[in-house]
Amino acid sequence: MIEFENVSFTYEATPGQKSLRDFSLSINDGECILITGPSGCGKSTLLRLLNGLIPEFYSGETEGSIKIDGNEIQGSRIEDQAGRIGTVFQNPRSQFFNVDTTSELAFGPENLGLSEGEILDRIGQTVKAFHIGALMDRSIFELSGGEKQKIACASVDVLAPGIILLDEPSANLDYEAAENLRELILCWKNAGKTILIAEHRINYIWDLADRVVIMENGVLTKEIQRDEIGRFTEEDATRYGLRCLERIDPTSLVKAGKEAAEQNRKDNTIILKNFRYSYDKRQELYSIPEMKIRKGKVTAIVGANGAGKTTFLESICGIRKNNGIMEMDGIAYSGKKRIGMIFMVMQDVNHQLFTESVLDEVLISQRSENEEEAKKILSDVGLAGFSDRHPMSLSGGQKQRLALACAIASKLPILLLDEPTSGLDLLQMHAVAEILNRLKEEGRTVITVTHDSEFIECCCDDVIRMEEAQHET
Amino acid sequence: MSEDTWTPRRNKSLLDPRTKLLLIFVEAVLVLATTGGDRLFAFRVVFAILPFLLLLTAKRYMTCIVGLLVLGSIYFLEYTVFPYANGALASILLIIIMIINRFLPAYLTGVYVVGTTTVSEFKAAMDKLHMPDALTIPMCVMFRLFPTIREENASIRAAMKIRGIRFGGGKAGKMLEYRVVPMITCTAKIGEELSASALTRGLGKQKKRTNICHIGFGWADWAFFLLVAATVIYWILGVLA
Repeated sequence: MIEFENVSFTYEATPGQKSLRDFSLSINDGECILITGPSGCGKSTLLRLLNGLIPEFYSGETEGSIKIDGNEIQGSRIEDQAGRIGTVFQNPRSQFFNVDTTSELAFGPENLGLSEGEILDRIGQTVKAFHIGALMDRSIFELSGGEKQKIACASVDVLAPGIILLDEPSANLDYEAAENLRELILCWKNAGKTILIAEHRINYIWDLADRVVIMENGVLTKEIQRDEIGRFTEEDATRYGLRCLERIDPTSLVKAGKEAAEQNRKDNTIILKNFRYSYDKRQELYSIPEMKIRKGKVTAIVGANGAGKTTFLESICGIRKNNGIMEMDGIAYSGKKRIGMIFMVMQDVNHQLFTESVLDEVLISQRSENEEEAKKILSDVGLAGFSDRHPMSLSGGQKQRLALACAIASKLPILLLDEPTSGLDLLQMHAVAEILNRLKEEGRTVITVTHDSEFIECCCDDVIRMEEAQHET
Repeated sequence: MSEDTWTPRRNKSLLDPRTKLLLIFVEAVLVLATTGGDRLFAFRVVFAILPFLLLLTAKRYMTCIVGLLVLGSIYFLEYTVFPYANGALASILLIIIMIINRFLPAYLTGVYVVGTTTVSEFKAAMDKLHMPDALTIPMCVMFRLFPTIREENASIRAAMKIRGIRFGGGKAGKMLEYRVVPMITCTAKIGEELSASALTRGLGKQKKRTNICHIGFGWADWAFFLLVAATVIYWILGVLA
């Protein structure tokens, strides 16, 4: 039993703003609770209060009481909760202490000082329950995002905690990986664990939840009980600023521009030819003999695995060596020639922000610096008041929009996006879609890799499925 | 069957992690710093060849071949070109030959040790040497962060290429800044998230931590110790004489 009683919390970094206000909620053992709401609504704060990251990692002022099984937990250290509360985090790249998967699974129980036999037993049980035999004894750096998240869940499972917290666990996962995550959560639910999931992307777990808690500005705005969940409609979700409830496989939305294919007019298509990539001779990641992209449209690329799609984008824009040829306006461009004519917004935008202020970031993207224009672009993407802020101090959605502002400023004709909506709430997703629609009006071509069906329906003209390459093993 | 079952693996690498630490030390002192002078020449040759053999046992054939090619071309330079060179060319050649001859074995030893030691094994070794956690845990995290830094670095380089930020145009100073700033922020963030995740899984909770990985000395370790002992004794005899 977890009880929040009139809890308020203010982060030290933002003194004027309460992240939780007079929040009360009690959670029974074995319940699966989905906590959702727009960015900054306080859902992550809730989890951090439970696992002790507040106050050790995020300091601030707490009021009210938080009890687990009747005992006040404030003042206990993070590591004291190990074995009772397990946490799965958002970023699959940064959750691992070890470099190999087996040591990673053993890591938690080793810290608790369990006997070796017991540890090996527990690992065996987790491997069996999660079907991850094939992932054992591997290097973390060889795994895909989805596989890493499985290992992250497994390394929590071996500690056998009664309470499991998941903080936006699907933010970096594609459709298939999210479906796999759903299976693991179901596995925990069936084992009778108490589960709290904070998520934007609610569709993959919507029907697993026993109760849904919607928050906004640190306040609980709506609590949906088990029997009401089925009656909650898409319209209701939109009203509360939530993402869609239905699970739609993005590959079911494939609609390659038919007119374009029929007319096949060379002046309005970009043709990508002979793009292939393989890690080694035996395993091909993808192979695309020919792909047609309509100019001045937004094209979504779906299907295959995340790594393949990212590599494909990198090959198109020429930062990864390849033999692919891009034909546009009757001219064939090789990989080298494409560098500098295509802008790419990476999945982790943190790698792309170099300067000390938001305005500088846009200025260095322009061919010749023009402050007035730069400011106009910033206000167009909704970052008008942020000119002097440090890019790293922005939220995820704001960083994404800043990267798009740089793309606009670059005036390059082709823009590539890698999962631009991962971890964004409804409002921010719409903001990104709106920017893309504007770019389209300016006559620019946008190619985006995405798993986000809702986003595809908002702004993509064509949807192309990238086939999974044949794996020979 | 392989999806649901897992049996603990028992294939250790040839050398114990503690032996590997000694190996790095000896390579650094004997080959890199050429302690002991000409008297130890024969031993130095043995220790220069050793990393190549170890790379073979670890199946790192490519690294081994590339290393041999580099070393081969250096000897070629030393015996065919160098005797006929004079002036500036001679000094440049001498510097290149000296540096590569001395650094290559030590560098390859480093590649071997990092490539064949898991974080767990390293931690187990340090625990057996009774090193305090305050020293070993940061070192473990460093081990873990090296590949991460490499990944981050590659992403940032690609991002700069896209943005058209290159050397030249009076931006050399800026270049470094653009490269280093995102690198530090990204790595620091990963480091922080890493420790948050480690703490929630009980790191530091118990005084006595278990370690499921077994380390211990085998025949290869003893053979190596004998070799080191022989080197040291021969060297001491030389000093006394």
